[in-house]
Parts: sequence; C-alpha cells; structure tokens
Amino acid sequence: MRFSYLLPLLPLCWAASKDALNTLVDLAAAGNGLINLDGNTFDLLTSPKRNWSASIQFTAMDQRRRCAPCREFDPSWVEVAKAWSKTPKEQRDQHFFATLDFDNSQVTFQKLGLQSAPVVFVYPAAEGPRQLPSGRTTPSKYDFSHGFEAGPLAEHLSNHTPIPIPYKPPFDYAGWALTAVGGLACLLTLRFISPILQSRWTWAAGSIVTMLVMVSGFMFTRIRGSPFTGGDGSWIAAGYQNQYGQEVQVIAMIYGILAATIVILIVQTPKQTSPNRQRLQIYAFTAANLLVYSILVTIFRVKNRGYPFKLLF
Amino acid sequence: MSTAYPLPSGLSPATVTNTASLIRIVTLALISGAAIASRLFAVINFESIIHEFDPWFNFRATKVLASQGFYEFWNWFDPTAWYPLGRVVGGTIYPGLMATSGVIYNILHALNLPVDIRNICVLLAPGFSALTAWATYMFTKELKDESAGLLAAAFIGIAPGYISRSVAGSYDNEAIAIFLLMFTFYCWIKALKQGSAFFGMLAGVFYFYMVAAWGGYAFITNMIPLHALTLILMGRFTSRLYVGYSSWYAIGTLASMQVPFVGFQPVKTSEHMAALGVFGLLQIIAFAQLVRSHLSSKQFQNLLFVAVIGSGILGSLAIVGLTYKGWIAPWTGRFYSLWDTGYAKKYIPIIASVSEHQPTAWPSFFMDLQLLMFLFPAGVFLCFKQLRDEHVFVIIYAVVGSYFAGVMVRLMLTLTPVVCVSAAVALSTLLDTYIDPVEPLVPEEAAPPASGDDSTTTSASGSKKAKKPAAGPSEPTTAQSTPKPRSRPGIFGLDARLVVIFNAFGMLSFFVFHCTWVTSNAYSSPSVVLASANPDGSQHIIDDFREAYYWLRQNTPETSVVMSWWDYGYQIAGMADRPTLVDNNTWNNTHIATVGKAMSSTEEVAYPILRKHDVDYVLVIFGGLIGYSGDDINKFLWMVRIAQGVWPDEIQEPNYFTPHGEYRVDDQASTTMKNSLMYKMSYYRFAELFGGGQAMDRVRNQAMPKQGPTLDYLDEAFTSENWIVRIFQVKKEDLLGRDLKSANAFSQGKKRKRSKPTTRRRAMV
Repeated sequence: MRFSYLLPLLPLCWAASKDALNTLVDLAAAGNGLINLDGNTFDLLTSPKRNWSASIQFTAMDQRRRCAPCREFDPSWVEVAKAWSKTPKEQRDQHFFATLDFDNSQVTFQKLGLQSAPVVFVYPAAEGPRQLPSGRTTPSKYDFSHGFEAGPLAEHLSNHTPIPIPYKPPFDYAGWALTAVGGLACLLTLRFISPILQSRWTWAAGSIVTMLVMVSGFMFTRIRGSPFTGGDGSWIAAGYQNQYGQEVQVIAMIYGILAATIVILIVQTPKQTSPNRQRLQIYAFTAANLLVYSILVTIFRVKNRGYPFKLLF
Repeated sequence: MSTAYPLPSGLSPATVTNTASLIRIVTLALISGAAIASRLFAVINFESIIHEFDPWFNFRATKVLASQGFYEFWNWFDPTAWYPLGRVVGGTIYPGLMATSGVIYNILHALNLPVDIRNICVLLAPGFSALTAWATYMFTKELKDESAGLLAAAFIGIAPGYISRSVAGSYDNEAIAIFLLMFTFYCWIKALKQGSAFFGMLAGVFYFYMVAAWGGYAFITNMIPLHALTLILMGRFTSRLYVGYSSWYAIGTLASMQVPFVGFQPVKTSEHMAALGVFGLLQIIAFAQLVRSHLSSKQFQNLLFVAVIGSGILGSLAIVGLTYKGWIAPWTGRFYSLWDTGYAKKYIPIIASVSEHQPTAWPSFFMDLQLLMFLFPAGVFLCFKQLRDEHVFVIIYAVVGSYFAGVMVRLMLTLTPVVCVSAAVALSTLLDTYIDPVEPLVPEEAAPPASGDDSTTTSASGSKKAKKPAAGPSEPTTAQSTPKPRSRPGIFGLDARLVVIFNAFGMLSFFVFHCTWVTSNAYSSPSVVLASANPDGSQHIIDDFREAYYWLRQNTPETSVVMSWWDYGYQIAGMADRPTLVDNNTWNNTHIATVGKAMSSTEEVAYPILRKHDVDYVLVIFGGLIGYSGDDINKFLWMVRIAQGVWPDEIQEPNYFTPHGEYRVDDQASTTMKNSLMYKMSYYRFAELFGGGQAMDRVRNQAMPKQGPTLDYLDEAFTSENWIVRIFQVKKEDLLGRDLKSANAFSQGKKRKRSKPTTRRRAMV
C-alpha cells in the first residue's frame, strides 16, 4: 500500500479518486514526469474531487499552428517537470505536471475560452489537506512577464507545490569552457598582444565605441528587448521614447562620423603642408559635418514631431 | 612670423593678461546670469511654486528647520507620514539640501532681508546652477585652459540635461548635488596634480557635503578609487596620488559617517568597499616603495614584491569573506539593478515602476545634449591624445557615465557634466587651431621636393611614405644650420579659418536655440499646475491638484487620514497637511503593497483594510476627462504588481487584462478590473457627465459603458474642476450592524435577494 500512511488524514470520498490518482501517477511516470493530456485525462486530472494540485501547460506544438512562443516555452516546461519528477515519491504524487496540446483536445480549449497559447494554469487541490485556506478551487494563471525561462517558472510554481521544485539551471559547460580557453589563450599570447593591450589607441577605440553605443540607446534595446527593425520593415520606431536595434547602429555611426570630422579638422588638417590641399580638406570636412548634422536633425524630427528646428533639410 | 590677419601691436604683456582676466570674469558672470535666467521659465510662465513630488517633502522639512531650528529638525519624528507607523525624519533623510536653505534663510534674516523660505527653496536650484558653471570652469581649466573652461561653463549652464533637474521650483537634492560633484572632482584633480593634502582635505570636506546632500554620492565613492586604481595599473603611482587619495579618503569617510542616514555604511556595505580596498592597496604600495628605496638586494626586492602581491590578494579575499559571512552587506538592490538590468523588475517593482528609472532611448540623449553629443567622443579622443592623469579621469567618467545614463534616464544628470567638459575641450581645441593667427611654416628645403614628389609619383601613399623618412633626418640639420624655426603645423589663409569658425558658431547658436526651446517647452512645467492652450492660443491653467488639496485642508478635520497611491503622499502632506498612509519615501514595501491591494481588490475586500488603517478619505487621480495621461488608471498595473509581490494568492496581474491580453477599461474590461476599487472610484458617475452621449476616456481612447460602476462603501466627497483629483469618503460601519452593501440596497428601496450575495462572492474569488 503506497499511500497507507496518508489514509487516516483523508476523507472517505478520497477512496473513489484513488484509482484516478493511480492512473495519473502511472501516466506521469510514463511521460518522464509530464502527463500528455487529452480530453478525458484532462477531466480526470482536474476533477472537482481532486486532492492533488496540477500545473497544466496549454500549447500548440504542431508546425501548422505556427505557434513560435509555444515551441520556445516548451523546453523550459519539460525541464521543470523533469526536476519535479526527482522529488521524493510522497510529495511528487501530490502535484502533477501536464501538457495539453491544442490538437489533442480542441474542446477543452473552447471550454476554457482559451484564445492563445502557451498558457499555464495551476489547479489547486479541491479537497483534502492541501486545499487552499481561501477555499479557492479555480485555477490561477502563470504570468509570462518574466519571460519563458525555466528559472522564474520553477520559482513561481514552487508556491503551489508541496515542496519547492528542485530546479537548478543546467551548468553552462560550453560558456565556461570558452571562457577558460579564451583566458588561457590570452595568457599564452600575452607576450605578443601586450603591445596592443598597452597601446593607448586600443583603449581609445574601445572606450569611444562603448560610449557611442551607450549614448545611442543600446541599453534601451537590451532591457526592453526591442526588435532590430519593425515588423513592416521600417527601421525607425515611432515615438520619442522608443527605438529599434538598427537605430543604435545608425545613430552611433552618425555620432562617430561627426566626431571624426571634428577630430580630423583638429589633428590632421593643420599638419597638411600644401595650402591648397589643406583648404580642400577644410571645406570638405566642414561640409560633411554640416551635412551629417542635418541628417541627424532630420532623423530626430521624425522621432520628435514637435521639434521646430531644421538645418539643411 | 606671418599672420593671417593683422594683430594689434604695442600692447604690453601685462595689459593683455589683465584684459584677458577681466573678460574671463565678465564672461563667467554673464554665463551665471544666463544659467539662472534660463531656469526661470517656470516662475514666469506659472508662479513661484514648488514642483513635482519630492520637492514638496524637502520644502516641508525646510519649513520645520527654518521655524524650529536645527535640533528640532534633527530629532523630528513625523507621526503623520506612513500612518500609523510614522517616520523618523531626521535619521532617514539627506539633510544637506534643507541645511543649505536654512543657512541661507538665517543669513538673509540676519541681514534684515525678510525673504520668504518658499522663495529661497524655489530659487535655490538656479542659484546653485551658477555655482556649478563656475565649478565646471575650474575643472575644465585643469584639463586644458581657461577658454575651454569658459565653454564648459557655458555648456553646463544651458544644457537641458542639467536644467531638467534644476529649474526654479525643482527643490530636490540634485539641485545642489551636481555643484558638489563637480567641485569634489575639481579638488580631487587638483590634489592629484599637486600632491596637495590641502586640496585632498577640501575634496574630503565637499565629499562630506555631497554625502549629506544626495544618495548619488556613491558615484564619487567609486569614481575616485577607480581612477586611482587605473593610475596604479598604468604604472603611474606617485606620492602625489598617495597623498591626495589618502587625505580625501580618511577625511571624507570619517566625515561622511557623521550623517545619521549613512552611519557605518562606509565600512559595512559593498558600495563603499572599492574605496576602502584601493586605500589599503595604496598603503601597501607606498610601504613597498619606501622599503625598496632603502634596500639594495635584488632577491629581497623580489621577496618584497611577492609579499605585496600576497597581502593585496589576502586583503581582497578578506573583503570577499566578510561579505560572504554577512559582515559586509552586499550591493543594495538600487545599485545592483544598474548592473543586472532585469533585477529590479523581478524583485523590486517599486524601483522599476518609477518613470525616471527606465532605460534611455537615443532621442532623450539628443534632446538633452544635442550638439555636445558628438563633440563628446571627439573630446575624449583628445584626452587620449594627451593622457595626463586628469585626462584618465575624464575618460573613465565618460565611459562609466554613458553606461549609467543608458540604463536609467535619471542618471543623464551625472553624464551631463562630463559631456560638457569633454565637448568644451574638443570645441575649444578646434577654435584654438583655427583662430590662431600664425601662418604655418613650411621648411623651404622640404617644400619643393614634396611638391615635386607629388607631380612625379602617381600614388599619393607612396609620396607620403617617401616624405616621412626624409623629414625625420632633415629636422636636426635645419635646426643646426639655420636659426630659423622648424616646420610648424597650422592653417593657411583666412577663408579656411572663417569656414570652420563660421560653422562652429552656427552650431553653437543652434545649440542655444535648441536649449531655450527644450527648457521652455519640456522642462519648465511644475506638474502641480498644468497648462493647456485655449482655442485663441492663450494659456489656460489647470489647477486641479491645489484645488483638491486645499479642499482637504479646509473641509476635513486635521486628523483625517488620506489614502492615495504613494506618488501623491508628499504633496498631500505638503499642501493638504493631512496624514497619509504611504508617500514617496518608499521605505516600507508591505505598507505600499497594502495600499495597492486595497486599490486593486473589490470594495468588500478593501473596506476592512481601509477601516483598519483609519482611512477617512481616498484620493485618486483621474485623467480620463481632459486627457491627463499620468493618472492612476495608467499606474494601476504597478499597484497590482506590487500587491501581487506580497499577496500572490489574492492579487494576480493577468486577471486585470482581457482574455486577449489587452489592458482595457471599457465594457470589455475584465471583471476583476471592473470590480476593483480603483476602477470604480475613477469612473464613478463618469458616464453621467456626458448626458445621453457616449462617454469617452480621453487618455485611453475607449468608449465607456453607459452604466457606470456603483459604490457601496465609499461616498464621493469632492471632484475637482477637470476631474483630475477625486476624493472619496470612507463610510463608517452601518449603525444597525448590516453590511454596507445591503444597507445601501435597503435605502434605495431594493428588495433583498437571498441568492445574489453568494453568487457574487463566488465570482469574486
């Protein structure tokens, strides 16, 4: 008797759902900790007499459904379910991980009024000792605002499982190996690259490129995860407080060109010994400066419609 | 010496120097005037009023300081904030700002100038901006010369990146902090250059002032050690560095620990460990240098070297170990979120919710700094060209500052000074090169062969290569044989000079127009008073906030507690003088989450919370009528998120969206949304305003349902002219012991249905 020690705790009606529980345990064991649901097993898993809880992923993995987020999220889900299957048996059988594919039971999707996928519902226990203090039996929805990663998912679901999910992010062998090899290579070639490392112009190039990229809104695109270009092929995002990845490159380049014209006028031009060639350089770089600056102002006018100034065009 | 344009002759060098310094003084005075004047748009367009949110608290604290003296202020316990907890104000603020205005107030009154404390507070930021311009002048002078200094002063005087935080009325810590930042950096550079313990001490003293004034002092705490460490790694350790750093660190740290809010943090938190570590490292290196100068044995020197490295590693291991054991606090969330940019959104939603903590898109950079934005890299390049110790400082500051400004809009403020300095270096070098009247000298033997080379060889690169070796050996021979000066680079002719100078002045005047436009349009709104334009173009003032706060002040008992979202806590305390549950000093997350929970749950759930906190009035900001986008419905999701962080079972963000994942307020809004207290208060009787017509929310552009929400547990008490502020009174418990819902139904003559409450309750959970 696998659950004999639980028996005294539970109400009598539990006996009826004992078979259901056994079925579910077997299904979970067969699916490597993850139950692959269809309409019937879904009803079984979410039966109103359940004394277990369940996390169910509603997804549409078929290629025809064109659900890219589903395929993106699925590995995390499988990982977390696998981590849960490693817990001790008595806790493991109180919470189930399951996946319901749209093509396996479209009825269920309609019944729940689901219009999009992936969705994760957590069904609390409806009866028994693990029933919520508030008495709520309706499912709660997982909020994807933390992204599709397994870490936050496991952390959130641990609120609903009897013990926290022992999920550990997989060790990044490739990354560490690469770092180690790179570091070693640097050490070995230190003699040869040290003139480069000690040259101030290496550092100058590094710092100036970093600065240019930062002031062109690189961190904005990183933090907000902006796309490289818009869906309609435009590369300038509408709105003053928004931008695409390509804008970073263009703006950084414009700043770089403008700064270069100034630097050339300061450093290079006075060294010119031929008056005519020097004059040509001065006119050319000043014109380039004015021209590129006008372009910059024009782009800025696109971003900030109310901006009243313009230069050449 | 031939010149491009005639120079006045017969001037004695003394006259030139005196005139130049007179012009400098006059220019600096004019720059200060321009800096102050350009910050007065807010006073001229509106009135002399304190702006925004935090300044209202600073103003209130300053009033206490001015009226009751420093000791009372120091021991001030404010029972009306964070009701019922209260707040120990003296120990939880940076008192530098209030102390500064208090000193100015007392000096003026000692001189029998009865200036109102409000006017001092309003005009403090513009006044200090003039000092900032001067400090920037001094700083840049150390980098290049006086002319670059003047340009830098002019830039920082009018750059919108700094004006945004220092317009008249913006009475916030940043108002004085940027001056302190620049002046501390100036003292540090000066101490480093001269090896002067005096300037090191001065840097320490101003660092203390900065610590007392602004939490951003951690920037100095880490910039100076980073600079010192870089210099050590570059092999530039000198006794000047040792003296400067040690005097700054010792005095600055001891002094900063006198601020109660800082206390023992300088030796107990990770933010300060870099400064401590570099201090230790400097001692070790200085000791090693001393011992080495007294030793001769090579082996012993090697041993010493190993010992020094070993003790350095041991020291850093000790710091790591102490951090691990918990003796040294790890990085606080606020600072940590600068490195791990996703951290704040996950773990500290209060920090992530503030609009000035959002990342910066490039238009904001261009808006705030315009022309300076591309002179900045050019200036950094020129710093690399010279690379004296102080140039290293500017380079580090530039890289670090641009990263921080990219991560957080608010840190644009710390980037602005270095952009101004570096741009001034670039522009003044450009102008120096092209205004200089001296024509270049081409060595006469070298010039003809060079031109001959050009005509004979086809490839330009070939001629260049040929010229370089030729020029090298020829220099010493010309210097020996002829007394004439050697080849001197420069600009030929007048027109070439004029083109560049004309372009530079064109860009500068464009910059002035830009700054004026940005300042007057974007950064001079008090946000307490709003402005809109009438059809005929004249200005229409929207004064709903003060209207509502004064209503509270005059119509409610002094003890009645007002609940609102935390943004308005300081304003209610400052203008309405009523106790508040939460305010902008977001120290207690649970308390804020409680308010968030009350706002985002149903009336039935919220009512016990309100009653337990003695709330008499609930205040919401609603912009739907006139299209004021900064209202509470737009901030609502943050309330939900913050409440969810504490009560994940009861409040869930997805419930406030439609099944399609949209945030809607019209009849498609989710049930949870429609039943939330915030929604009900915002749209209560909103549809009635439109008569029979279609009610429109002008912020979210959604048509509202005809049947608006009803309220059972609250009464509408006051709604301002444009409906921006709505105040609701919390009803007392029913005298007959019924719940207010059925009491309300009874008084409206509705028959009580037995089944209804149960179904409602189920739907709600």
